[in-house]
Amino acid sequence: MIELHERTRRISPSRLHEILAAHDARSLVDPFMGLPTHLNYLKRHGIAVHGGDLLEWFVRVGEGIVVNDQTILRDSEVAEIVEMLPGRIYPLDAFKAWEGVFFSEEQCMYLGVWLDNVRNLRSDGQTGLAILGLWRVFCYWLQKSHAPDDMPDVAPSELAWSYIRQTESWVTTNLRHNTVRSADVLTTISAQPADALFIAPPARNSFRTADARIWMWEAWWQGNPYFTIEHAYKDSLFGARSADEHSYARAIASVLSAAAEYPLVVLQTTERRLAEFEPLVRNARARVEILAPHANEIYIVAKR
Amino acid sequence: MTLFQDPDAVPRTAASRLADVLDAFGAVGDRAAGNAPGTARRKAAAAASIARATGRSAADANALYFAGLLHAVGAIGNLGLRRGNTFSERTATMARWDFPADGARVCAGIAALPPEVADLVRWQAEAWDGTGFPDQLRWHGIPIDAQLLQLADIVARASDPDDALVTVAGLAGRGIGPDHANAFVRWFHLTGGEPEPVETPLDALRAEASPPAPLLDLLADRIDAHNATEGRRLRVTRLAEAVAERIGLPVAERDALGLATRTFAAGELGHANGEDERFDPLSRLGIAARAENAAAAAAVFDGNQTFARAAEILRARAAWYDGTGQPALTHDAIPKGAAVLAAAVAYDALDSVHRTQIREVRTAPADSFDTAAGTQFDPAVARALLDVARAHA
Repeated sequence: MIELHERTRRISPSRLHEILAAHDARSLVDPFMGLPTHLNYLKRHGIAVHGGDLLEWFVRVGEGIVVNDQTILRDSEVAEIVEMLPGRIYPLDAFKAWEGVFFSEEQCMYLGVWLDNVRNLRSDGQTGLAILGLWRVFCYWLQKSHAPDDMPDVAPSELAWSYIRQTESWVTTNLRHNTVRSADVLTTISAQPADALFIAPPARNSFRTADARIWMWEAWWQGNPYFTIEHAYKDSLFGARSADEHSYARAIASVLSAAAEYPLVVLQTTERRLAEFEPLVRNARARVEILAPHANEIYIVAKR
Repeated sequence: MTLFQDPDAVPRTAASRLADVLDAFGAVGDRAAGNAPGTARRKAAAAASIARATGRSAADANALYFAGLLHAVGAIGNLGLRRGNTFSERTATMARWDFPADGARVCAGIAALPPEVADLVRWQAEAWDGTGFPDQLRWHGIPIDAQLLQLADIVARASDPDDALVTVAGLAGRGIGPDHANAFVRWFHLTGGEPEPVETPLDALRAEASPPAPLLDLLADRIDAHNATEGRRLRVTRLAEAVAERIGLPVAERDALGLATRTFAAGELGHANGEDERFDPLSRLGIAARAENAAAAAAVFDGNQTFARAAEILRARAAWYDGTGQPALTHDAIPKGAAVLAAAVAYDALDSVHRTQIREVRTAPADSFDTAAGTQFDPAVARALLDVARAHA
């Protein structure tokens, strides 16, 4: 059984929106985007959002709920994702390496079928929505492997149906141009001017301890059950070359330096790591304010 | 007019008075959200009970109590629920997702509350699997107490305790974390799914930090925003206060009237149209609608000691002086405060129409109002109101 993290970083877009509103920021770049549900919130509230990440499935989901303004998956299209289509030959053993370790034979088979069906979808928006919905099924399965008697048994296709169908409710337009890109932090920062930069930096060496529900889903999307997240991060600013304390601090400083043109920088951290980031931000910016609604949710708000 | 005087000369603590105002927020929030009456109180009791059974600290249980009580305050004035919004159903749904965050902002502005309350309200509708709202937090990113508050919500809405158990079991791993669902099952077996009665934890309130009168004004303003009648409570309150003074209403009754002028519009929450949009304020046709709203507003304050006398006024405001209104009270059987409130609300409605009419067709509100003295309105009250209106013209 794979270990699931007991802590999950909290990104509260409603709180972030309050901070942006207080500074009259109407556009935002997030180069450490992760799962971009927070960007979807900000988009719904009229903010132009631009995100970036190195994991492709995050970017694909961003194409579904951040970039996409109107495309949804209708019932017939969802049906073509969740079940085997007659006449199509599926790679049913694509995820056999996970069988008996993390998932059952049936679940591994579904993972292969779903990957094939999603890869055959016609639009980026639909692909992103399907990836998001199916990821929730995947998480449910992993969670259920930890609490088999405490969670209801739901047929895979039924669970997938309900989760994919639900994604429709997050599709909306804000009449602004919103983007996501598969790129390193510095590329994302320099690609798009905006009123604010939001950074929630990964912890040092966090790629080595990433939540299984995150990196395994990238493995699924890549169709490679042996994929490791270190591979995705290997040449990046926050990869192995910033493994020690000093090089990590240098990496953060370079991010802040690259963000010099942004009127507002909001860095989210925790009370435990505040002392690590605050001097770096104060070094880069003249006016710095700390908002601390919770020990696990501290915002360093920096203006030029 | 000074609000919240003690009419019975029985000393009541500032905290209990504040708690009654918070209870009013909760009840009005339920009405705005379309919840069954009493949902907020049941949710508060269930939240505190579940917190205690699951070993949370007393401070956590207190914060959960108030978060349960105030769970729906964000619905009052929410853009997706406001009268007259022109949103599509889809856009309105998205706007409604904001009500927990709106509620958190209201709670954050009430300094007397434990500081944890605002974020519990903010995250009460988050789902374990990340499909909740407003923030789509997931897994352990959702504070434990916010999950407990969601469990309390299920208890408060269930028609039968067993229904709550079935609902939670079905949501385990999706809306509710499996560990929290397990904790709920333990609580259920300890209590039979019926939260024990809970006293309002007055000690947890810093009453001196939040005087009740500005809070009540805040509530009244949000009600007006919800009903798309911005500024009405101010106009009606000023008018009623001046009339009360002119007719020499005793201080205690004026205090109750002050509460009533700020809360009468709670009865209109949830209606697509205001009563004066449907019927002329002097029309007999509008009696039933006004009586329904009056009863609904009074019911909001059932069991609320501070608002008990205001509730009498609210309930009787659709009575007509000649006994043909609802309730069928006549002359002096109608509480004077109710007579003043009825007259002030009607005059404000007439005056609002007057202000929006073009100059050539304007009818002075005083002319039509005067014709209802002795039938709809207490003649002494009507006379005083017209004097006040003329003095302010």
